[in-house]
Amino acid sequence: MAYPLIARILLAGLACAAAGAPRAPPAGGGEGDQRVGSLRFTAIQAGAKFTGAFRRFEVRFEFDVKNPGQGRLHVIVPTASVDTADPERDQIIRSADFFWTEKYADAVFHAEGFEPDGRGFLARGELTLRGITRPATARFELKQSGKRLAMKGTAQLRRLPFGIGQGEWESTEWIGDEVGVLFDLKLRPAPAAASP
Amino acid sequence: MPARNTAVRYGFVAQGLHWLIVVLLMVQVTLGKIADELPLGLERLVMMARHKSVGITILGLAVIRLGWRLFNRPPPPPPMPAWQLTAARLTHGAFYVLLFALPVTGWLMSSAANYPASWFGLVQLPDFVAPDEGLEHLLEEIHETLVKVLIVLAIVHVLAALKHQFIDRDGLLLRMLPWRTR
Repeated sequence: MAYPLIARILLAGLACAAAGAPRAPPAGGGEGDQRVGSLRFTAIQAGAKFTGAFRRFEVRFEFDVKNPGQGRLHVIVPTASVDTADPERDQIIRSADFFWTEKYADAVFHAEGFEPDGRGFLARGELTLRGITRPATARFELKQSGKRLAMKGTAQLRRLPFGIGQGEWESTEWIGDEVGVLFDLKLRPAPAAASP
Repeated sequence: MPARNTAVRYGFVAQGLHWLIVVLLMVQVTLGKIADELPLGLERLVMMARHKSVGITILGLAVIRLGWRLFNRPPPPPPMPAWQLTAARLTHGAFYVLLFALPVTGWLMSSAANYPASWFGLVQLPDFVAPDEGLEHLLEEIHETLVKVLIVLAIVHVLAALKHQFIDRDGLLLRMLPWRTR
């Protein structure tokens, strides 16, 4: 009786496909920085979207696929590493009107506990920028790629609640309030028991 | 005045496009110059955004104008020496090239500088080149050189039209003006 066997194989295949099961479950989290990935952002300027990047950042990620609620994500970004392919504009972004990098060197995102969301997870946490801390949510997906853990995701932020854009820059007529964040990382396995 | 060109003058579509583009080019060169002299800041951003919006408008009008001209030949010029006919043809050809080359180099320059262009904040133009400082400087040189060529040709064009109208008295200028029919 070959028919039921084929049917069983097909069903098993479908179940796997539906659950996204063929990929190996990622485990253990990892660490990463600018050498193993990118951290970019998009902003609207005079009605046109452009992309910039941060050339330095550090990511610590603790994760257990069986228990995402216990995970942690900690990201530190020295905002002076901003790069929009125009040194003059970068200088303005570093100034007191925007990131005020002299006074507030780092942006920090910290989240504890992840919620499954489709094929990925939501990290509801807090973002500290220019000395102001506000809730922020990132959505990410994971994929094991060899020894590395590929982590890719996005976050939607608004710049004004953090005071990014003072004085004439507060107007959203020429610089939009919405800022998108895109990260694409290949995390190294973290040294055992190194988590704080 | 008919929409299409007649044997003695341009129709109102060709005249309208000619004069509208003249006005927009004056606005455009002024905006570009103001923006170029400002330090980077909100004011420069706003001026540049307007410069780009007007530039995209000129590019659109140039497409319409070229299309209209291809299907609607200009009225024959008044009698004049062959070298003047050749000079006029070359100048007019160069204007058409500039009407495309100026906006296109400006557009590419915006993309190369990572300041993508939008048309009055309503539509964003696609980027055909990635951000690249070297390319941006090269395009900037070309863009600025083309503006100088445009200004020189515009002066030649105006002087030639005035010479025909007021020295040769051959009525050439009236072909591009709405009043008085011959």
